[in-house]
Order: sequence, then structure tokens, then C-alpha cells
Amino acid sequence: MNHWFKSGKPYIWLTAGAVSVSLIAVLGLLALIAWRGLSYFWPAAIYELEVTAQDGSTQVIIGEIYDREEVSYERLQESGLAIAGDGDEMLERWLLKVGNRELVPLDFMWVLAPQVVRQDTPKDLAVLERAKDGNFYGYIVDVLENGQSVVTADHSIRDVLAERIERAVQLSEQAADLQQGDIGAINYQLNRLRLERRSLGLEEQLTPAEEQRIQAEETALQQQYQELEKVLFTYREEANRDSVVVRDMRGIDVEIPMYRVLDVAYPNDMGVFSKLGHFFGQVGKFVTEDPREANTEGGVFPAIFGTVFMVLLMSVIVTPFGVIAAVYLHEYAGKNTITRLIRIAVINLAGVPSIVYGVFGLGFFVYMVGGSLDQIFYPEALPSPTFGTPGVMWSAITLAILTLPVVIVSTEEGLSRIPSSLREGSLALGATKAETLWRIILPMASPAIMTGLILAVARAAGEVAPLMLVGVVKSAPMLPVDGNFPYFHLDRKFMHLGFHIYDVGFQSPNVEAARPLVYATSLLLVTVIVGLNLTAIGVRNHLREKYRSLES
Amino acid sequence: MISVTPTSSHTENLDLANLTAEQTALSIRHLNLHYGDAQALYDISMMIPKNQVTAFIGPSGCGKSTLLRCINRMNDLVEICRVSGEILLHGKNIYDKDVDVAALRRQVGMVFQRPNPFPKSIYENVVYGMRLQGVNDRRTLDEVVERSLKGAALWDEVKDRLNESAFGLSGGQQQRLVIARAIAIEPEVLLLDEPTSALDPISTLTIEELITELKKQFTVVIVTHNMQQAARVSDQTAFMYMGKLIEYADTNTLFTTPAQKQTEDYITGRYG
Repeated sequence: MNHWFKSGKPYIWLTAGAVSVSLIAVLGLLALIAWRGLSYFWPAAIYELEVTAQDGSTQVIIGEIYDREEVSYERLQESGLAIAGDGDEMLERWLLKVGNRELVPLDFMWVLAPQVVRQDTPKDLAVLERAKDGNFYGYIVDVLENGQSVVTADHSIRDVLAERIERAVQLSEQAADLQQGDIGAINYQLNRLRLERRSLGLEEQLTPAEEQRIQAEETALQQQYQELEKVLFTYREEANRDSVVVRDMRGIDVEIPMYRVLDVAYPNDMGVFSKLGHFFGQVGKFVTEDPREANTEGGVFPAIFGTVFMVLLMSVIVTPFGVIAAVYLHEYAGKNTITRLIRIAVINLAGVPSIVYGVFGLGFFVYMVGGSLDQIFYPEALPSPTFGTPGVMWSAITLAILTLPVVIVSTEEGLSRIPSSLREGSLALGATKAETLWRIILPMASPAIMTGLILAVARAAGEVAPLMLVGVVKSAPMLPVDGNFPYFHLDRKFMHLGFHIYDVGFQSPNVEAARPLVYATSLLLVTVIVGLNLTAIGVRNHLREKYRSLES
Repeated sequence: MISVTPTSSHTENLDLANLTAEQTALSIRHLNLHYGDAQALYDISMMIPKNQVTAFIGPSGCGKSTLLRCINRMNDLVEICRVSGEILLHGKNIYDKDVDVAALRRQVGMVFQRPNPFPKSIYENVVYGMRLQGVNDRRTLDEVVERSLKGAALWDEVKDRLNESAFGLSGGQQQRLVIARAIAIEPEVLLLDEPTSALDPISTLTIEELITELKKQFTVVIVTHNMQQAARVSDQTAFMYMGKLIEYADTNTLFTTPAQKQTEDYITGRYG
């Protein structure tokens, strides 16, 4: 044994063990998130259960089995359920998602397994995805157009329904496009005119001629608006035409207007391939659509966009700042105690808890800088703030300060790795120090700068705490980029995947429905960060190859 | 005694102590140099003649590279370095306060011990100095590249791959590229700091032949600790020891009939 210790083998095992534990931790984490997140999109079977309650009454329940767990009789008895049994024995119970939120008190319910007398998965069971009130489970009975059935012997009810849904979805997409596109632009213009009038008024230059011009423009816009509104109403009326009749688990026929229905699926009647198709369709919808129902349904596109946009903005701010600071520290600052102190201070900045940066950003950037900007440049909008309120720009700047030390440290490292012979070579050709820096040193340090940026992005993309103070919101009505001049609206608030996870997981009215979304969003956040990093790493490797330093 | 036979052909033997103004490229007067508290050069005075090859020899640490780096003020980069005395170029002390160091370095080019091409293409390496001066006209640059690479005896080897990375060249080619880069901006004086110490014998030979060519156009000052090399390529040789200039004479004289005992000891291999 002693010999074995002396051979050094235990240390190999120890170190290799540490590596394996880390690997397993990372892979396990990713696997768990991926599994729980992706299974949300997989079309689950819909069960029809007949349950006999304790008092002998029978009830039919239709829904997806969401969870199974073992509970002791004791717990059930204590929760007030009149059930006979030994306290320590375990009993299986199922959590069912029954949907139909507007008709039943809870869209999730527990069922005790022994009480299920019949269990079935009929192929005709359908799940309707709706724009409001979540999923609806039941049997499709009829499709109506202006109250008249349109199902004939030639066309199966499924085909008719699919066709009508497609039409309704198209109409509501057109309506939404109109509302966000043209009508949004008109609203934006109107608001701009209102601000212009106030601004002229504040400067006491609102001449009758100006007033007339603004009014004329406003009238023209109002007219346009009314025309568009008419179009919008026709879309809505059109969409109102059809409806679908569904028999729910109580056996009652429910009529659902077609414009509420987004999709229909018959999971019990799907083969593996159609299930796969449905799965990818759902994933696609998740990443491209806006959230609905207080974020518990629909997609997360604004959050993805917000995260990426904020991180890119932060990179644009932090890179030049960090590089310039590093250049000064490394190239120009005297090599003395003060420089060393500054360097230590910079490195220690990286250790400050991020929420502190959030507080600083709110106090300094939002209230002081933003407030002053408003008073100087946007007095016409006051008292409603323009930049004096949390927004995507302040978030990006706050995170830029948070990640500044990382960029400075790695840039400095890169600068010190460049062989002095190259500096001398450039200086000997009559270059000044600045020219040498610009033409030789910085290009060669660019891989190190990219490394700093990669670390900064990795840190910034996952940061949520400071953002809650300086710009993230649960639901942003508009993206920070749109078609209205000046296209980038850095004063707007934005959505963020990290905050979305927190919001959906902990602030949601519907905990059970939100749980898989938390996993799916986490998976997406990891994917986005990995994607951003891979891009940066790609760029860095390209630069490294280009400026491969002299190995001789 | 090792056999050192100077081969450079001397058309005339200059009187090194009393050169005329036309014959002088540089004159160094009472140059002292300190690194912090340590003195590295002691009261060096010498005249370096125009269009000739002057070699500095001496054992490691004798200050020959330091002296060379004084001539284009590369020692300015060392913070603790202090220089007193004068180096005159065209009668003007290069250590005067109003001297533009970058302009000085355009007049006094330098090639270092290890080849240090920039991480750019061969073409861009050569035109680096021109671009610094704001010359961006493609035709001018093309001419400069051809002339400089021919001047550095590299043209035939690289003319078909001017846009490839300079790192793809061999060590000897890289060193000639660096020489081409230095002569592209047409300096008056070319300082070579042990230019062949990192090269193989064949590359060394090429560079040595090149040096003999270069002196037609430039004044060349070379530091070497290879005495045969000094004997082969230089017209004048200065022997330095412990920061002092021991002896300075035309190469023939210095190697055959040294005036100082220390010089004789060094060239006969008794130390160093």
C-alpha cells in the first residue's frame, strides 16, 4: 500500500477523478436541461381516464399525464382526503394537464392511480393550441362558418379544420403585421409630432405657420390611420367567420371561435415521423414567436433578441474602452507603484458582486446621466423620461463596466506577449510609438483582445441581477430595433432570457405550466451563449492564424 | 594564432582620426552611457567613415551592441538608460532636444540579431516604412519593393509570392527581407546588430556578400562577435572591451599588427 502511494498513482487517480467529476457535472447539467426542456415540445399522448371517486361517483378526465409520484396515505389523509389505508403505505398519483382553463377551476389536477377504472388513448382526441386560455383538449365535433356546418361527406373534418385554421392564422398574422407595422409607424409619427409641437412651444417658436404644418401632418396621419383601421377591422371580421365545436371531458359541446385557435394536433394518431415534424414545428414556434398569457405560453423571440442585442451592444462599448485602458496601462503608464495599484484595483473590480453594478448603473447612469440627458435633449417629453429610465443602453453600459476588467487584463496579457523585437523593428523604421501600436502591436494583440471579449460575453450574457435594475422587463411591447427612424431605440426596455427564466419560474401565475418552459428557456440561454462564444472563438482562431507570432 | 586574412579590398587607407567632413558619416564624441548606476560605455570617441563597413568586435557584454543602439537612439526605449556626450550626423548632435527621433531612425536604419519580419505579407513588410511616410501610391510602392528586394538579393526568390506571409520564408530569407525593409526607406547609415548570428553558414555567406554590395550605397556599421566575419566584410574594425574602445583601425592593420596587447589577446583567442 505504501508502495502504491509512493508510486504517484493515487495522484493520477485523484486528478483524473476531479476532471471526471467536472465533466459529469457539466454533461449531466446539459443533459438534464436538454431533456426536460426538449420534451416540452414532444407531442405527449392524451389520455381519457375514467375515475371513480371515494364516494362512488364517476368522472371522465381528458388530459396529458404530466408527472407521476408516490405519496403516503398519511399525507393524503392529512391533506383532508377521506381515504382508508395504512399511513405508511405508498400510493401512486398522477398529475394531469387537462387544459380548458376557462371551463374548469384548475387546468392541472391530481388523480390517484387506484381510482382509475378505465384508461384509454382514443385516436380522435385533439389538442387545440389557443391564443388565449391555453390548450383545449377534446373531440372535434363540427366546424362552422357563420354558424352553419361546413363538414361534408367529401371532406374529412380534420382537413376542413386544418384549412380553416390556416386561414384564421393568416388573417391574424396580417392583422398583427398591420398593427405593428403601418399603424405602429403612424403612432410613432404622431408621437413625434406631439413632441415637436411641445418642443417648439417650450422654445417659444411655435409660429402659426409651424402649428399649421404640424396640424396638417397630423390630419393626414389620422386619415391614413382610419383607413388602415378599416382594413384591420375587415381582417378581424373575416377571422370571426369560422368556429369549431369541440366536445370536452364533461361531454359538453363547446364552440370556440377560429381566430383563437392557432394549431390543432392529434397526438394519439401520430407516427414517429409526424411527431418529429410536430416537435420541430413547436421548437421553431418557440424561438420565433412572442410570448402569450403572461409569458407562460408562446415563444421567447423578444427575449432572444434582447439578449443578443444587449450583449452585442455591450461588446461594442467594452472592447474599445478596455483596449484603450490596457494600452495606456501597458504602454504609456510609468512602471511604478501607482500603476500597480491601478492594476490591482482593475482586477479587483471583477470581484465586485454584480448587483452592486446594477445599483451603481441605476443611480449613476439612469438617474444622473439619463436624467441630465433628458433635461438637455428631451425637455419636450418631460415629465415622462426618455433616457432617465432603465433601458437597453444603460444595461449594456452597466454590463460593459462589469466586464471591463476582463478585457483589460487579457489585452494587457496579449500586449506583453508580443516579442519586443517586433516593436524595435517598427521603431527602427521611423515609426512613432503610436504608429507601432496601431500597425503592429494591436493587430497582433487582437487574438488576446478577442479572448477578453469571449470571457466578457460569457459573463455578460448570463448576468441577470444588475439588469433587473437597469433595463430588463417581464414583457416589452416593442423590440429595441424596428423600422422607424432612427431604427435603434436604445432608450427602450427589453426582454432577456435570463430574466425570462426567473420570471416564468417564480413570478408566473401557473407554476405547473411554466416548469417545462423554465427548462426550455434555460437550454435556449445556454445555446445562445455558446453560439455567441463559438462565433467569437472562430474569429479569434482566424486572427491567431493570421498573426501567428514568431516561434523562432 | 588563428589565421585571419582580411580579404576586403581597400582602395585607400583612411586616416581615421582626421577624416574630412565629406568622408565622415558619423562622429561619436566622448560618449558615456549608464544603465541606472552601472556605466556601460566609457568615453567613446570615434569617426565612422562614409560608404564603408565598420565593424565592432569584442567579447560578450563589452558594450558593442549598446554603442550601436546609441546611433539610432534605440536605447531611448530603456527607461533607466542615460547618455552623455555627442553623436554627430551631418554635424548635428542626434541627442539634441529638438531632434525628431522617428526622422533620425529613417536616416539610420537598423537590422537586428534575430529576423523580425512583421506578421504581414512580404510586400507589406517591405513597404512598411514607406506607408509610414504616407506613400500609398501603388506604382511607387511596387518600384520600391522591386528595388529593395533586389538590393537585398531576395527578389528572385520571392518575386512570385510577394503577397504571401513573410513567416513562410526561411531564416536567412527573413533576415534579407528585414534588410530590404530597412533599405526601402533609403537610410544613410545601416546598423547591423549581429545580423548572422541566428543563421546557418550558407545564409551567413549570402548576407556577407550582400553587405559588401550595400556599402556602395550606404554606410554600414556592423556588430559581430565572429572575428572572421569582421575580417571578411569590414573596412574598419573597432575592438571594445568592458565598455571602452580599446583600438580602432582599418581592418587589415587591426588583425595583423594590433597596437594594443588586449586586442592581440582577443584576436588570438586568448579570451572572449
